[in-house]
Amino acid sequence: MAVSTIYSTQALNSTHFLTSSSSSKQVFFYRRHQPQTNRSFNTTITCAAQQTVVIGLAADSGCGKSTFMRRLTSVFGGAAEPPKGGNPDSNTLISDMTTVICLDDYHSLDRTGRKEKGVTALDPRANDFDLMYEQVKALKSGIAVEKPIYNHVTGLLDAPELIQPPKILVIEGLHPMFDERVRDLLDFSIYLDISNEVKFAWKIQRDMAERGHSLESIKASIEARKPDFDAFIDPQKQYADAVIEVLPTQLIPDDNEGKVLRVRLIMKEGVQYFSPVYLFDEGSTISWIPCGRKLTCSYPGIKFNYSPDSYFDHEVSVVEMDGQFDRLDELIYVESHLSNLSTKFYGEVTQQMLKHADFPGSNNGTGLFQTIVGLKIRDLYEQLIANKATAPAETAKA
Amino acid sequence: MATIATSLNIVPQRAIITSKTQPARLTCPVRLNNPWNLASRATNRMVNFRPVKATPEGVISDKVEKSIKDAEETCAGDPVSGECVAAWDEVEELSAAASHARDKKKADGSDPLEEYCKDNPETNECRTYDN
Repeated sequence: MAVSTIYSTQALNSTHFLTSSSSSKQVFFYRRHQPQTNRSFNTTITCAAQQTVVIGLAADSGCGKSTFMRRLTSVFGGAAEPPKGGNPDSNTLISDMTTVICLDDYHSLDRTGRKEKGVTALDPRANDFDLMYEQVKALKSGIAVEKPIYNHVTGLLDAPELIQPPKILVIEGLHPMFDERVRDLLDFSIYLDISNEVKFAWKIQRDMAERGHSLESIKASIEARKPDFDAFIDPQKQYADAVIEVLPTQLIPDDNEGKVLRVRLIMKEGVQYFSPVYLFDEGSTISWIPCGRKLTCSYPGIKFNYSPDSYFDHEVSVVEMDGQFDRLDELIYVESHLSNLSTKFYGEVTQQMLKHADFPGSNNGTGLFQTIVGLKIRDLYEQLIANKATAPAETAKA
Repeated sequence: MATIATSLNIVPQRAIITSKTQPARLTCPVRLNNPWNLASRATNRMVNFRPVKATPEGVISDKVEKSIKDAEETCAGDPVSGECVAAWDEVEELSAAASHARDKKKADGSDPLEEYCKDNPETNECRTYDN
């Protein structure tokens, strides 16, 4: 009883939000959802000309996707939380502007099914791409969907949950760009490419506290998944509009702790509404060490690189940062020299980084580039919305 | 309407809390320690307590441990078979789930007042004054 009432208030909240935020005149027709009691009318009809922006985020598990999500939702304002009153093991995160869907929910085989067939979750045979395509398409057109839930604790597929179309939909998981139809629906796509050494170091950090795990078991787990990963997940990076590549540092010789990182932000040229970040002069090759007379850094310091490049036969621009930030003024100094950041005010990147200083990667390129990508996505969203608003006006005039 | 919504929000939240964090009910007969009941004092002998079921975090840790053992056994036979790979994938999935559970616990499990105030910032206990 309580659950059904909450659904209705939630639906009311979402439509109310839509009318207040959009400036154009839109008519909304909706009927109250009457579950169980009256089988004759059991659908909500919402007619909305809302445009949902769809972002895809691909990475292997344990690679910082959830940190990225939290930074991204924070750029738009508000904290993303699991849906209230629903399945506590839901993977979905909802905030005012964004909804994050975990693509693990589209597994066609649950854990026992995969074990029987001998396939990993990375294998496309374990995922239902048809359902993924239909539901993402529906959400993009403004239709709510009943999305299945994959419970990571039990390994089973739970009862579906209702997802309302948000302003920004983020699909994160292993295969957002694998299926061509889903790829065409994405307005922007990001791939987190973590090198093997760094992945090993991060997984050790994550799993050594777990009893039962040893160095050998962590290594065996990575090795076993590698063939499937290389075959199915890794090729997606050629389709991404932005790739965040994390490599071991070059500043410390023979470093294998993985604390200092070299992070490269590879941005595709020619993507609509997306203008790559650059350093000093767009299109030239720059190597920059900010530490010197104006800024003092502690060991191992910071090194920046910017250059145009070619990545899988595409023209790209690459901004690279090696080292870590120790102090606030280093961050501000670096931000003031980067161009095309799409910030709304001076120091916004620094402010966002400080807001989440406890997140992993807040003192190196991972946090910096994730924040920058978040601002780029906000810029892309605003441009898209502005474009969609002017387009109907033009057709009306014609 | 808003107040009704917020007050309704508490109910399912409580439901979630009880289902997740409350340990399983003891099925063995429980001996009550009521001093006014002379009969109970006479019959209160050593009771065999069944141990309380593990917390959700403990459940996941147990699963991780078990899955590692399973994977090692499966792969002892044939290291490149699909079953071996699937077993290690399961280990990876469960380790990720365990680490998320640990993060979530660290993030919000510590202070019940904080948890309550997250959902109800307008109540008297949760009001903050900026100036």
